[in-house]
Amino acid sequence: MIKRITLAFAALLAAASLFAQEPTGGVKGTVVDRNGRQPVENARLVLMSGANQLATVTSAQDGTFLIPGLPDGVYTLVIEAPDFLENQVQVTVNDGYVKNMFNLSLTAVQRVSEVDEDNFAAFDMEDSGYSDNPTILFGNNDVFNSIAGYNFSTVRFRARGYSSESQDVYLAGVKLNDAITGYSPYSLWSGLNEAMRSKDSVNGAEMADFGFGGYNGATNIFGTASEVRKGLRGSVMTNSSLYRLRLMASYATGLMDNGWAFAANVSARLGGNDWTDGVYYRSFAYYLGADKKINDQHLLSFVFFATPGQRGASMASTQEVYDLMGDNMYNSNWGYQNGKVRNARVRKTHEPVAIVKWTFTPSDKFEGSLTALYRFGKNGYTALDWYDAQDPRPDYYRNLPSYYYGMVDGVYEPDLNRNNYDKYLITYNTWKYADINSNYTHLDWDRLYNINRQQESGRAKYVQEERRTDQRDLNLAFNFKARPAEWLTLNGGLNARINRTEYYKVLADLLGAEYFVDVDNFAEREFASAPYKLQNDLEYYMINGEAQKIHKGDKYGYDYYAQVRNYGAWLTGRFVAGPFSATLGGRIGYESFWREGLVRKGLFPGLAPNGNKMIDPATGAVIEPTYETDGSVTTSIGRSKKAQFLTYAGKLNLNLVLGGNMRIYGNVGYFNDAPKFNQVFLSPRTRNSMVDNLTTAKTFASDVNWQYSGNGINIRATGYWAKIWDQSKVMSAYDDLQNAFSNFAISGINQRHMGVELGFKIPTYLVPNLSLQGVLALGEYVYTSTPMMTQTVDNSADVVMSDVYVPYWSKTMLSDGTVTQKHYVPSTPQTAASLGLSYNYNYWFIDADVEYFDRAYLDMNPLYRTDYAVAGLDNEITDKEVLYMTTQEKFKAAWLVNLSVGKSWYIQRKYQLGFSANVKNLLNNKSVKTGGYEQTRLVDNTATKARYYRFDSRYYYNPGINYMLNIYFRF
Amino acid sequence: MKKTLILFAAFAALVSCKSLKEEWDPVFTFGDNEPAYSVPVSREAILEQAGIEEFTTIADLKKLYKNNPVVITGNVWIEGQVTTSDQSGNIYNELYIQDKTGAIDLKVGRSALYNEYKVGQRVYVKCDGLTLGSYSGLPQLGFQADDTTTNEYETSYIQLQSLVDAHVFRGFVETPIAPLTVNEATIAAAVSAGYTSDLWGKLVTVKGLTYGNQIFALFYPNPNMAHKSGNPENRVFLSDSGVWGVDTWACTKSKFVEYLNAGVWDTAEVGSGATRYGAITGRPADYLTGEVLDKFGMDMYLSYKEIMIKYATANYISHYFTLGGQTVQVRTSGYSKFADSPLDSEILAGKAVDITGILGTYNGAAQFTLIDDPSISVVLQ
Repeated sequence: MIKRITLAFAALLAAASLFAQEPTGGVKGTVVDRNGRQPVENARLVLMSGANQLATVTSAQDGTFLIPGLPDGVYTLVIEAPDFLENQVQVTVNDGYVKNMFNLSLTAVQRVSEVDEDNFAAFDMEDSGYSDNPTILFGNNDVFNSIAGYNFSTVRFRARGYSSESQDVYLAGVKLNDAITGYSPYSLWSGLNEAMRSKDSVNGAEMADFGFGGYNGATNIFGTASEVRKGLRGSVMTNSSLYRLRLMASYATGLMDNGWAFAANVSARLGGNDWTDGVYYRSFAYYLGADKKINDQHLLSFVFFATPGQRGASMASTQEVYDLMGDNMYNSNWGYQNGKVRNARVRKTHEPVAIVKWTFTPSDKFEGSLTALYRFGKNGYTALDWYDAQDPRPDYYRNLPSYYYGMVDGVYEPDLNRNNYDKYLITYNTWKYADINSNYTHLDWDRLYNINRQQESGRAKYVQEERRTDQRDLNLAFNFKARPAEWLTLNGGLNARINRTEYYKVLADLLGAEYFVDVDNFAEREFASAPYKLQNDLEYYMINGEAQKIHKGDKYGYDYYAQVRNYGAWLTGRFVAGPFSATLGGRIGYESFWREGLVRKGLFPGLAPNGNKMIDPATGAVIEPTYETDGSVTTSIGRSKKAQFLTYAGKLNLNLVLGGNMRIYGNVGYFNDAPKFNQVFLSPRTRNSMVDNLTTAKTFASDVNWQYSGNGINIRATGYWAKIWDQSKVMSAYDDLQNAFSNFAISGINQRHMGVELGFKIPTYLVPNLSLQGVLALGEYVYTSTPMMTQTVDNSADVVMSDVYVPYWSKTMLSDGTVTQKHYVPSTPQTAASLGLSYNYNYWFIDADVEYFDRAYLDMNPLYRTDYAVAGLDNEITDKEVLYMTTQEKFKAAWLVNLSVGKSWYIQRKYQLGFSANVKNLLNNKSVKTGGYEQTRLVDNTATKARYYRFDSRYYYNPGINYMLNIYFRF
Repeated sequence: MKKTLILFAAFAALVSCKSLKEEWDPVFTFGDNEPAYSVPVSREAILEQAGIEEFTTIADLKKLYKNNPVVITGNVWIEGQVTTSDQSGNIYNELYIQDKTGAIDLKVGRSALYNEYKVGQRVYVKCDGLTLGSYSGLPQLGFQADDTTTNEYETSYIQLQSLVDAHVFRGFVETPIAPLTVNEATIAAAVSAGYTSDLWGKLVTVKGLTYGNQIFALFYPNPNMAHKSGNPENRVFLSDSGVWGVDTWACTKSKFVEYLNAGVWDTAEVGSGATRYGAITGRPADYLTGEVLDKFGMDMYLSYKEIMIKYATANYISHYFTLGGQTVQVRTSGYSKFADSPLDSEILAGKAVDITGILGTYNGAAQFTLIDDPSISVVLQ
């Protein structure tokens, strides 16, 4: 609208000039992307005569611009646009003519690599109940996101402290956050940078044209063939922190005269890295897209892509292990097998996505699209599994020195009841001289094979399993944009999702054995005399009288569907009155999900199909079912109860443009969202039991923003405040007090997020083409409630404690009421700042940034915040115990320095060759914790039997100095 | 242009080759790469490696014990054949090895040892650095004891895999040692000899045992709380007389709860020795005061029986058998796979049985540990 007003105003001026006999000369042209020649909208063109700024216009949607009314002369035209290098051209206006510059090309800023899922090493949370899903910020048209997205990604910065699942990610207009967990699904297209480059995004609670969004921004990746940049491209990239080599090629025709557009993108990411042993990539990616423009009103798009491959994961370890190894990047997942590094935890995926999209534009006042998106294939994650054998993990706590000489905060603590100094020394030296003891400090695959081989029966003791999460995810989305009046724009849509995710595991590798047996190892310890209870597949046992022998590729262990259904509608209306605009929107939805067990587990047999109790054919004994708290029978097979939720949200945006360069805007929103499947089922691998008193999570979010963009200056300042309440969480862990694996359901978690964001890029005016750039994210993200927790024993569903308060969840408070610490939302720095210089000239760019991170906190374990754990065995709560057990660890502040440089050359005005390189963490700071979690276990075998002690927390770190180098070629 | 393309291709090739050579090849990405078979060591090889002419006998090793734990020094090696398996779970963390002169409890301190140490397998133990001790009369070879205030053992488990690998070497699997048949006199002689008897730790068959209609068990109502002899408020004995309704060899957690719910232990008393508080149907609040009571927290208002159910764990049971005038306890762990197996009704009816297992001693009495399921190791005569 502003552009149109600007252009209309310019045209009016031009017309007026005819009467006034004002100068008739001018400049016009089209701003295009140098790569692909696609028009660049919203480019700012500043006409200078010497030091005087004569005019400023903005390019229209088709990239065109006009600066009329110029007297003859020589001018400098400065062209700037977000994400493009600034360009300057000389313009000569002669004889009162409007000089047509035709295409003025801009070169996109080519950092080494866009921030994508690859920028984060995969950390294995080992079923801890904690998640490790970073947020990705896209730089589209926003100075804060552009700088923070690039510089903060490696420390897992989360904008405004919000969790990953609150960031909405759309593909071709379909919201594609994971149906089960809500996590953003970047891994689906990782490695397809060219095909998925075109995107649109909004911040915070802003409303977008493509979807209603949430309170943590929304991004829509266009993904269709005609949106892929035209031409042939190839690139070779090497880096030192993830994988050695990335080869990528793409080709796109653009929309051709015959109405077709085709695009293809392939890539391979291969090899290991300098920092984490065992982490490797063998990942490939392919993308095929075709668009057919039937006429001006109809466009059909077809897309098919996937990223098949495997990648090794890393495991968080305790600081004791890192210190012993002298390496904060130690990875316990790997060991030598016949001299080769082998990782036990490997992500193996091939999840194709097929899209059909129909875009229709019946008039210039209405456009709509209908998209069907289907995701399928397999998503596997390997792990070691063992039956009646020793725990093979090298950093198992009994393999560490601390198990033999107990210390708290570096001081010997006799109460820990651990004092065998010789064993301490032996263990210490084993770890300290890891090079010659790699069979103890890493997995010993050779030993696992040989133990299997020693079993005369051929029965495996150790196997490698592959946990599968195979989705069948059908999404339908109808989106429209209508402009019934100049002052009103309506956006809206309908969406439906039918997701059936099958969770099961298959036997991936027998490690030299002949077969494995499908029984529950943990159940056997408790119910050895009731063979039916050990059965993972009770029905097989009932028919065959024994557990099934499992061979490579067979399913075993557990098998169930997570069924999810979402239906929704949304509508926003944007009202414009001069420089003021307001957008009001709402959405409503219905979500339901249920578990559907595909095997009957011996621990939770339920009743026979006829409603009677079953009989164990081996013993003739009645198989007694277990019962839920409401008296219903606990079962593992068949459908669970259906969890159903009505969801809704509303948003308001107010926007005021001042003087063409300045914008003040604000957003408020209220959201009522359903919990996710994984927050509802207590132990979905074993039974249908659900958390009691399910409720939706509520969020109120607000922000106020000031933005300035002009004269080479880009600034955004934001203040925000949000409250999230009634959140729930389920986690499972071994409880030493029960001596049993337990499920913990926590409800009533409330949070408050508030803070400020500042992003700027300002010319230095001292050196041409040199800008000062920086961001500041200063927030306070705290827990504000006292949640409730219910604990059940996994093997029996027995309730250990029901709805007990977790009084130290939001704060550490002493007996006299003194609060020594507020507890913070973890895993992101609450203070993050970056300051740097950016130099762009003649297709060179050089960026140097210094970053500071502080106030990041460790993910907390609710068990440690109960009266039960704090009091210890003597049931007395002392301030010493409160401080020890409930204080949340704060990570040390960190400084990082990054440097980026790039240059491109045009060859014969046809080919482009360029490189971009960066060196991250130039100071080689290897002690930057980027996350971690507290273990749930307690040391209870103390000398005094008076109190408990924590198990050591596990952490993951940012790598030291690392580089990336990308060389690309285009034509 | 051509030069540029060549440069581009050369860079791609360089990076690719480096990746493949240095980073790609050593990483196992599924496929065939099975490690070599580990081969047991021969007796000769061990002798050569140890630099000794002959192994020390177990009997000679045991002579080094003089009523106190002793750290073995010097080039002392023993050999023996494994007589036990922890597969059934009644023996846990330990290997019993036996030579012609005796047997010893080797405190390896790792679980599922049967996977690597088969019954009949010859093992060689480098004793230098290990500790020889006694557990209430039973000879044990382990590591030096933990130096903690609550430790009550003369040795600790060897435990660390690196220590086990440095001290315990697997030889070939040979014909398993046949159980030694013992009678009342033999057992009486062993009890009389005490620690020095060569019988302790041996695989034996005791013939003609009859059920003594008595059990012994000690439960800790809240096992997480202090429960040593100085804490009678947290101890419940099933002893003195009778079988307390117990008809299984031991009890898993669920069976323990089942017994409690059946009420067969309702008259069992809380306390030990002369300190007796009352039946488990009473509450700590009924029996205790002050700090001792406070330790129970809110549980003080539950009955002991309810507390025992709340903190239920698997528990061992000792069944008394008699052989003439000699009493033999058959002690079974609640974590064994046959814990909940019922004693044969004919055993309960007094029919004589032959029992095969490890004969040990505890505080001057013979104690018997089953290795295998009673359906195999307990044979009706």
